[in-house]
Amino acid sequence: MKSIKKLQELSKVRRERHHPLIHHIHKRYNISRKTLFYVKEYGSKSNATKVIIKESIKILLFASIISSFGGLALEQIKSIFLSFTPLIILMPVLNDMIGNYGTIISARFSTLLHEKKMKNVWNNEEIKKLFLQTIIISLLTLIISISAAFLISFLSGYELTKIVALKISLIGLITVISLIIIIFVIAIIAGLYFYKKKEDPNNFLIPITTSIADLGNMLVLALLVILFF
Amino acid sequence: MLFDSSFKEIFSAQIVSLIAGLFAGTLLAIYTDKLLLLPGILLLLPGFLELRGNISGSFASRLSSGLFLKVIHPNKLNTKIIHSNLFASFFLAIVICLVLGVITFLFDYFFMGIVMVKIILLPLIAGVIANGIEITLTLFSTVYFFKKGHDPNNIMGPLITSTGDITSIISLFIALAII
Repeated sequence: MKSIKKLQELSKVRRERHHPLIHHIHKRYNISRKTLFYVKEYGSKSNATKVIIKESIKILLFASIISSFGGLALEQIKSIFLSFTPLIILMPVLNDMIGNYGTIISARFSTLLHEKKMKNVWNNEEIKKLFLQTIIISLLTLIISISAAFLISFLSGYELTKIVALKISLIGLITVISLIIIIFVIAIIAGLYFYKKKEDPNNFLIPITTSIADLGNMLVLALLVILFF
Repeated sequence: MLFDSSFKEIFSAQIVSLIAGLFAGTLLAIYTDKLLLLPGILLLLPGFLELRGNISGSFASRLSSGLFLKVIHPNKLNTKIIHSNLFASFFLAIVICLVLGVITFLFDYFFMGIVMVKIILLPLIAGVIANGIEITLTLFSTVYFFKKGHDPNNIMGPLITSTGDITSIISLFIALAII
């Protein structure tokens, strides 16, 4: 019942400002930040339809345009891209994977900021641990996804040569590692900036990093396909 | 410790997402000649795939907030607030699908000299099908997980991105067959 009272208290907080109550409820009652964000945003509003459409449409349009720009890069090299079946199979996998890392890195870094564990940010043990975890998981999932893409391509009758397999593996590796590094640097710089402005970094970092992940994935993929093939 | 519980949680979620991504990618590869050869389709595809997560993810979060605040009752779904959320989510999805279709149409017209009105209809019809499925799935899964004592947001994120990819690709094929 205490948690309900806290949530009702939170729903009355002005939506523009980050409030420490979010972090308190998140830690104390294990309610996700996303839930708490919407408690603050929509808790006491009556005209839900209007509020949701008005507040979501801009960011959704922005995200769609960004994604289209990324797609534009791939459209330019469509004929080469479509001739490599493993690349077609890997496209949604890489898109999901890098987008997910954007969300994870942003959420974890925001939590570290709220917990005030961010002294000497560029040489911080928690950040190093998060970076190493992300790199190890990305390498493991990349190996699984590339192997599965090769296997599916082989079973569907695609003739995979050693050199093509090596090039596709390198494309996957460079795309994932380079984008994780870019997302990390942006999450740290933008996270510190929004935290200093007393805003909740969660609300900004996730849309920023996922948009960069989507756009970057397509751009890097297109660039590497041109370079390698 | 590097291999702690959060390592396991992230890795498990990524594996689920990876399986769904591979399934979507395989469908794309099998039907390349039907879908991917359409002019400008690669402009449309990333945004269309992303849309399910953006719309249904936020919808699930708003539902969770309503459930926690007791504004929404898990056993009474025929209410004004649920209707408002359903309408807003569906409306947003259709508008964005239309925008994606128009962007692709303009690209085809200006850069390829092709007038292809069907490319606007494709995401629109597929959007109606995919969001019809995904938004309904989101509503019932969120309420189900809440009833089971979980915070739905901790589960709904990976669930939506995984099912979203598959429903999106299948919906695109259905829309293509209709057109």
